[in-house]
Amino acid sequence: MNSPLTSVTLFHIGPVPITLPVVVTWAIMAVLVLGGRLVTRRLSLVPSTTQAAFELIVDTVDSQIRETMRVEPGPYRPFIGTLFAFIFVANWSSLVPGVEPPTAHLETDAALALLVFVAVIWFGIRAVGVKGYLATFAFPSPIMIPLNFLESLTRTFSLLVRLFGNVMSGVFVIGIVLSLAGLLVPIPLMALDLLTGAVQAYIFAILAMVFIAGVVSEGRPIPVSSPRTLP
Amino acid sequence: MTIDWWTLGLQTVNVAVLIWLLGRFFWRPLAAMIEQRRSTAEKILAYAEAKRGEGVAALAEIAKTRAGFERERDAMLAAARKSAECARTERLAKAETEAAALQAAATAAIEKDKQAVDAAWAATASRLAVDIARRLAARLDGPAVRTTFLDWLLKEIQVLPAAARQAVGVKGVVLEAISAAALDPAEQDRYRDLIGVAFDAKPQISFKTDPDLIAGLELRGPTLVVSNSWRADLTHILADLAHDRR
Repeated sequence: MNSPLTSVTLFHIGPVPITLPVVVTWAIMAVLVLGGRLVTRRLSLVPSTTQAAFELIVDTVDSQIRETMRVEPGPYRPFIGTLFAFIFVANWSSLVPGVEPPTAHLETDAALALLVFVAVIWFGIRAVGVKGYLATFAFPSPIMIPLNFLESLTRTFSLLVRLFGNVMSGVFVIGIVLSLAGLLVPIPLMALDLLTGAVQAYIFAILAMVFIAGVVSEGRPIPVSSPRTLP
Repeated sequence: MTIDWWTLGLQTVNVAVLIWLLGRFFWRPLAAMIEQRRSTAEKILAYAEAKRGEGVAALAEIAKTRAGFERERDAMLAAARKSAECARTERLAKAETEAAALQAAATAAIEKDKQAVDAAWAATASRLAVDIARRLAARLDGPAVRTTFLDWLLKEIQVLPAAARQAVGVKGVVLEAISAAALDPAEQDRYRDLIGVAFDAKPQISFKTDPDLIAGLELRGPTLVVSNSWRADLTHILADLAHDRR
């Protein structure tokens, strides 16, 4: 068994080494994109059962964004929803024999945390401008600027460590148990790992929303009620 | 533990591309469809609300029309009642008039019939009375009665116009003296003399018998008739009674 702390290079494209997590990520991307395209290929006003199920997912993501960020979900839906979907599918990819979740590797979690860090800056500047975004570091007083800046780094690091630690530990434990015990013994641990993977995907998405909302909601009025309420 | 920066970069790009791809091919179409359904539902609800309003207005219009129908029905019923009342009054008046006319006609007819019956009964009674008198007078025929009738005949002759009496005296005129019973020749001569004196002439007189005279003596000539008998009297009385009944 390979150490989860190291990535196995499968092949090289020029000078670029292609590791297993990257290939698995490509596979997950292919599944998600093709599945999404398949679902949205024949949309109709009277939805099929499949369309209704996926619309329920979209509606759930929107309601979570609305409740957590107190903003309209449109601009944030692709980022938050894709983060959740990718982490969820990646965590559960361990169900496929021989596949190691890409989120069990530090580089993938670091890439996700880095994207959240960039998204916070991007959405913050887009919502309140550069000046407004920088002003968020001086909240509640300019004395807090160093601490707030440090916090923006550490919380990104915490995202990375939390996801990596949970998923990697699960994979690691299952691997150890599997090597020590029989075939059926790791199953409860795998079920627990599935639960952990789902919870971690949810936590990662929620925290990303909280971080983005921290800069987006500065100086913005909080919507009183949902505009989707039909008369 | 080391970080593979190539993998970190590739994974960052991968997830960024995935975010873009899913945003374009999954999240946006589904959200657009949800939004389209929402707007369609709003339009349908607005349309339904408008239709409901139209329905309420149509119901109000129908209620108004029905109220108009009620008023029109009441007016028609009132007009019909009034017309029927007028017709009834007119019929009653006409019936009363016709009944009065019928009653008057019936009364007149009854009165006419009564008069006719009375007249018939009076005529019958007159004829009966004359018949009774005729029978009674028939028993009275005797010399005294004949003498009385002779006197009455002579008086009648004397009151005749002079021209009538002179016409009897013309030669060739024959008078008929009709009596109820046959006269013997002596009486005939005496009667002839007295009549001649009454005419102041000597007319030829032939004597005849007619029992229908009951009693009396009548004289008939070419230009005169002197009715002097019970029959003539009773006939005269009967004519007077008939005249009185008229």
